[in-house]
Amino acid sequence: MSDELGWLDAARRGDRNAFRPAVDANSRPLFVLCVRITRDAMLAEDAVQEAFFNAYKNLDCFDGRSSFKTWLHRIAVNAALEQLRRHGTHVLATPMPDDDDDGDDFLDRQLDETPRPDQHVHGVEIGRRIADEMERLTPLERAAFVMRHHEGESLEVIGQNLSLNNSASKQAIFRAVRKLRGALEPLRESS
Amino acid sequence: MNPISDDELILYHYRDGLEPSRLAKIATALESAGELRERYRRLVALLDRVDAVTTAEPDESLAARTWERLAPRLDAAHEGKRNVDTHGVRRARAPHKQRTRWHVPIVFSAAASLMIAVAIGYQAGRQSAPSPSPLTQTALSAKSGMMAARVLDAYVAEHLRATEGVLLTAANTDARSTFADERDIAASLVVSNRLYALAAARAGDARLADFLRQLEPILIELANRSPDSPIQSTNGLRDYLRRTDLLFQVRVTQARVSANGTRET
Repeated sequence: MSDELGWLDAARRGDRNAFRPAVDANSRPLFVLCVRITRDAMLAEDAVQEAFFNAYKNLDCFDGRSSFKTWLHRIAVNAALEQLRRHGTHVLATPMPDDDDDGDDFLDRQLDETPRPDQHVHGVEIGRRIADEMERLTPLERAAFVMRHHEGESLEVIGQNLSLNNSASKQAIFRAVRKLRGALEPLRESS
Repeated sequence: MNPISDDELILYHYRDGLEPSRLAKIATALESAGELRERYRRLVALLDRVDAVTTAEPDESLAARTWERLAPRLDAAHEGKRNVDTHGVRRARAPHKQRTRWHVPIVFSAAASLMIAVAIGYQAGRQSAPSPSPLTQTALSAKSGMMAARVLDAYVAEHLRATEGVLLTAANTDARSTFADERDIAASLVVSNRLYALAAARAGDARLADFLRQLEPILIELANRSPDSPIQSTNGLRDYLRRTDLLFQVRVTQARVSANGTRET
């Protein structure tokens, strides 16, 4: 934090070049975060741009309780969601799963995870299915899951960031994990 | 011990969202129950596979490209701030582009905390330390009350931004895949909305309290929608929004409380 103080103070005073190191250091991880949510490189890049802009405009609100990187990442999550809302083209018209499945245990179903001679192809297929299912998650499910699983954010922070109460945050993550597990279901039938 | 659900295993995996005692019980059960251990192993294997999925990497020029686009905007933003600071005149409000929910947490617990804060703010104002003169005591009370009102306005402004987003999505999209998201947000907003209406009433802002109470039925409607709602229901919602011009009212109210929230006390 002490290293951040120098450029932060200068940026707050209006020295926009003082903000450049923050952009250089955080562009790539922000992009990875945003593309996980938007599933689109162009939207992710726009979200990165907006995240930095919003962060700069609101540097006075950064109180140091978290690291600057953490604060910036939280801003970027909402920037990514905003890109999805603006464009709408990435909302897939996939039928919603039956809500009666919510809450049912799903880990008790055995999937075929036996190593096979074509294990590499098998692994690639699994990866593809998971990537496809990530795209089918709703934006909120994906954002909540990415924040919890990839960013390590707490449910409390996830709720604050996504305007959800604690229960809704949990349900979004549960639905995401359930759907991802469900993406592997066809592999059981093919065994 | 209550059976351990898969949802609890997910929370256990992240060590988040469960009481310490429940975490301890699950840890103990994992040591002794083979079936539970197997379920947990499948969860971990799934999440490991998620980690193995590669994400698109940005090209090398991303940072430079980002800065090239960003720098002129930062100059403009700084110029705008300078104009306000130097001349004390609020610059023309930029078109409402993006919700920035992150800096004002809007969750049930935050709304409840706000209620307490507003109540304390007013109570503290009434119970200010004795001062040499009644006029000073009155000024202190007024200042505490005004600060509490500013806090309320800031929270309500953010709440209305979130409400506008939910209304816009309901009015402009037929995408069934976002129903769960919007339904969850609307359900959270119902709870917050009630608390803010109560806080506004206690703060003496009857106009704001009334407006927030008017929002409740539509938020409840959105919180209870299902993806199988008949098309007439969705069209009816759009007609209602258009007929009442509710979105416009939300924006106007949001702008008003935002302006109140940034006034000097």
